[in-house]
Amino acid sequence: MEIAITGAGIICAIGNDKQQVLESLRKGESGIGTMKYLSSKHLELPVGEVKLSNAEMAAMLSLDADYPHSRTSLMGAIAVRQALAQAGFSPDGTHWKGLEGKKVVLISGTTVGGMDITEQYFERMKTDDSLLYLPQSNECGKSTVEIAQMSGLQAECCTISTACSSALNSIMLGCEMLRRGEADVVIAGGSEAMSKFHLNGFNTLMILDRERCRPFDDTRAGLNLGEGAAFVVLRRDSDIGAEEGKNGVAEALSGGNVLAYIGGYGNRCDAFHQTATSENGEGAFLAMTDALNMAGLQASDIQYVNAHGTGTPNNDITESRALQRVFGETMPAISSTKSFTGHTTSASGSIETVICLLAMQHGFIPGNLGWKHRIEGGITPTLGSEGVQLNNVVCNSFGFGGNDSSLVLCAEKLHSFAGPSGNFGVKEKARAVVDSVEELPALKEFVSPMESRRMGKLMKAAHLSAFRALQQAGIDCPDAIITATSRGMLEISQQFLDDIVSNDEELLKPTLFMQSTHNTVSSSIAIRRHCHGYNITYSQGDQSLEWALRDARRLISTGKAGNVLVVSFDESTPYFESFARRAGETLPPEVRAESIVLERM
Amino acid sequence: MEELIYKLKEQIIDALNLEEITPEDIDDNAPLFGDGLGLDSIDALELIVILDKHYGIKIANPADGKAIFSSVAAIADYVSKNRSK
Repeated sequence: MEIAITGAGIICAIGNDKQQVLESLRKGESGIGTMKYLSSKHLELPVGEVKLSNAEMAAMLSLDADYPHSRTSLMGAIAVRQALAQAGFSPDGTHWKGLEGKKVVLISGTTVGGMDITEQYFERMKTDDSLLYLPQSNECGKSTVEIAQMSGLQAECCTISTACSSALNSIMLGCEMLRRGEADVVIAGGSEAMSKFHLNGFNTLMILDRERCRPFDDTRAGLNLGEGAAFVVLRRDSDIGAEEGKNGVAEALSGGNVLAYIGGYGNRCDAFHQTATSENGEGAFLAMTDALNMAGLQASDIQYVNAHGTGTPNNDITESRALQRVFGETMPAISSTKSFTGHTTSASGSIETVICLLAMQHGFIPGNLGWKHRIEGGITPTLGSEGVQLNNVVCNSFGFGGNDSSLVLCAEKLHSFAGPSGNFGVKEKARAVVDSVEELPALKEFVSPMESRRMGKLMKAAHLSAFRALQQAGIDCPDAIITATSRGMLEISQQFLDDIVSNDEELLKPTLFMQSTHNTVSSSIAIRRHCHGYNITYSQGDQSLEWALRDARRLISTGKAGNVLVVSFDESTPYFESFARRAGETLPPEVRAESIVLERM
Repeated sequence: MEELIYKLKEQIIDALNLEEITPEDIDDNAPLFGDGLGLDSIDALELIVILDKHYGIKIANPADGKAIFSSVAAIADYVSKNRSK
């Protein structure tokens, strides 16, 4: 069975659809410029904004322009609609013709979700009861539900939140669900709007370039923040042949259904540092190696790599080393298209996948804009070329916590695909719950005070439950770590928002931002236990744990992992408690973490 | 200088959440990173914020921090020469 991409949609700084993006890529026109839509004082920072206001996007989707829609949801819905239309489905009021009777799943990657709205209303929400619907509607999981609603799509919704690799991980999950018959049609990708929260966050890490970014250049001084959304429609090739009577890329190129096949993929954890990559790019190396092995391809079979290439001093040299380790003497053409789009964070994996699809379909390689000087020991990126045949392409996407993912796209079906085919039983080996702050000093048994000094109560509870469960199970380093959270690192994120307000976007604390992402827990456990295996975080409201357990069982039953640590965690703060109190809802627990170790029977 | 060194230690302990450490525990001349106190790259960014916030010193390139932050005594020396508040 092969997984085919039959539709794609994109909106980013260089275009509001595939045609515009294609033209910008071929002309070498970057979309990075002066901030216009985000309301931040940091106008000195170049950004890659989508060139539409929220009202313009709402109008494109026939939505009420007065409602405070998050840009994350708006951009996501625009991209989803494009993807579905190209895949041959047509909108019909509240549903899409052609999807009737099929198991449809929408998987989106996001980390800030509706943070753009939360931060706008952060102060007003404290007193204005008419805004009580906002805190919940801006969770990551809710943004995916909103994307489905805004697109008129009836679908099961799932959200992956692994920082900047989120969208690529969504595509991987979609493939796994299709292979296992858990879905018939998957729309997978990611969406992320610019927010003051992460613009200031990256600024505290001092990795934002004051000039236009220059990935892989010796003079690079950081990334430019971007935004956007992209989604692809994934199908089993056997379904396409049966229903539409079309088959193969030759027809796709002349307007048929298949844009490319997913040859392979890999997700690994660098297990090195929350915001830095290891010297030799271990996680990136492992992810690319897994993806190539799954596809049954040699390094020499790859014609192009769309690199993660953020433009930060750290990423570009370590990704270079990982690429050199994988490709050696047979280095393919490599470019980072973040020089066009800016770093679109959680959406970057799908935005760059769609850019790869455009390159494959139209026979060109996008250039690495702004590159002039080779880094000592670094790769030499391509400045672009036309008239090339791209059969196999790699797309890299790496996130905070060393969450490294790699995807192989193929123009032809790979008959050599040999995925795990086992059907192993799964059993629960251990379980541990931590649900009060009084228990947290016990973390000393596992983590030194020097290591735990930055952790908030949720991090401590999650680590304590995880290490207790692993201890019970007699496992030091699990094969995979999967976490589940509805709202993520609330306390730390709220402190950072307070910091933004009270210090007017100046001199903020990097310590807060570095542990604000939903995958902070999964990567921190991986770092402490040196786990380089699969590492994923789900954020789908009260269904988060269920999604995590499903994934864990899938990994074990297919033989990809012998044991999996699943950690579910959530917390509250007085600020968020006040919403529940005012809305007359049950108060959320101050902190709760539950860890489960599953293993092969 | 003694007073500045003590003040810096208090500010470092506070900003870096060094809960179980007192100013007396930190040797003026011991390395702060690596084998000494064991600080990391995020701590270096916090130190840059301290210098800006309390002493009006701007360090634009985080790589410059390495030499300046080698020990508390070195920071105090740099601050006394470059402070604008």
